[in-house]
Amino acid sequence: MTAWLVVLAGGLGSYLFRISMVVLVGRIGSPARFERASGLVVPSAFAALAAGGVVASCTGAGAPEAIAPLAAVVAAVAAVRRTGSPHAAIVAGMPTLWVLNLAFAG
Amino acid sequence: MLATITAERTHGGTVERTHAGRQDMIAGVRAMVPWLLGVAPYGLVIGVSAAQADIPTAAGWVTGPAIYSGSAQVATIELLDAGAAPLIVVATALAINARLILYSGTMAGHWRGTSMWWRALAAYLLVDPSFAVGTDRYQRPGDRSGAHAHYLAGAIALWITWLVAIAVGASVGARVPAGLHLEFVIPLFLVGEVVVRLNGPAMRRASLTAVAVAVLAFSAPLHLGLVGAIVAGIVAGLATGEGRR
Repeated sequence: MTAWLVVLAGGLGSYLFRISMVVLVGRIGSPARFERASGLVVPSAFAALAAGGVVASCTGAGAPEAIAPLAAVVAAVAAVRRTGSPHAAIVAGMPTLWVLNLAFAG
Repeated sequence: MLATITAERTHGGTVERTHAGRQDMIAGVRAMVPWLLGVAPYGLVIGVSAAQADIPTAAGWVTGPAIYSGSAQVATIELLDAGAAPLIVVATALAINARLILYSGTMAGHWRGTSMWWRALAAYLLVDPSFAVGTDRYQRPGDRSGAHAHYLAGAIALWITWLVAIAVGASVGARVPAGLHLEFVIPLFLVGEVVVRLNGPAMRRASLTAVAVAVLAFSAPLHLGLVGAIVAGIVAGLATGEGRR
């Protein structure tokens, strides 16, 4: 019973977060500074999420194994800069990760 | 592109608009595919952990449609399993989901003028992947209603995949071969999206600051490092004096 209540309370709170600014900004209008800031949310959020994901892949593993995800990111950045396509990151990064993981495992 | 032009020329032409809407919906689902590959294994893992935790498995699955955010769901299931106080569990889940307020603020401008019901549904589906796919399309020039269709179709594809993955994990206990490291698709996808946006000093400083803070604050409790990194990135970008990309 407690588990159900906790899940529903967490869900209700999360929904209020999701709808909060949609309702507030819709009512009061959005100040210029907020508009400027919102243009920066995407690069900041994506960069932070990516960094967190890479760090999570590096921690827990030994030093040699941490090289594979870092090298995959370097390959991804190089591929995107070269091609101009964001998808090149996955195409270049995943094989780099697999090959290096295999190399370290062997 | 063709679909957008058709939609603009025939303002009120239902057939063409439906056609354009369908194109946008397909594009939205297609844009979501890299995310689906990354989140499906994550959903399976959450399903397995829900089945193994000392809570009703159904309650573990309901974290999907209720909380609808992987890391907050993991925290909820793990803390309930550990016997933490209910208030602590809820507070932790909400702290992890505090970033949704920032996403909500970004989407508010794009969703202005839509019906209350549409916004209620769109907000419910708002989470990292739908935010990423949605904002990418909203920032491109063109028909706004097409962007709405793009967002909603991608977000619904994500929702269905996520809930099915958790259900499969919970019932079958399926395991994705760990050696494939499919979870790394998401960081790489984000790296690609950030690199193509590095087209000005404000964007560069915002991204680099966010990376630095996210790395330094990685082990901060309750995933507050993520919120801190996003806020630090925005502040750094604003401080450079040209916030717009």
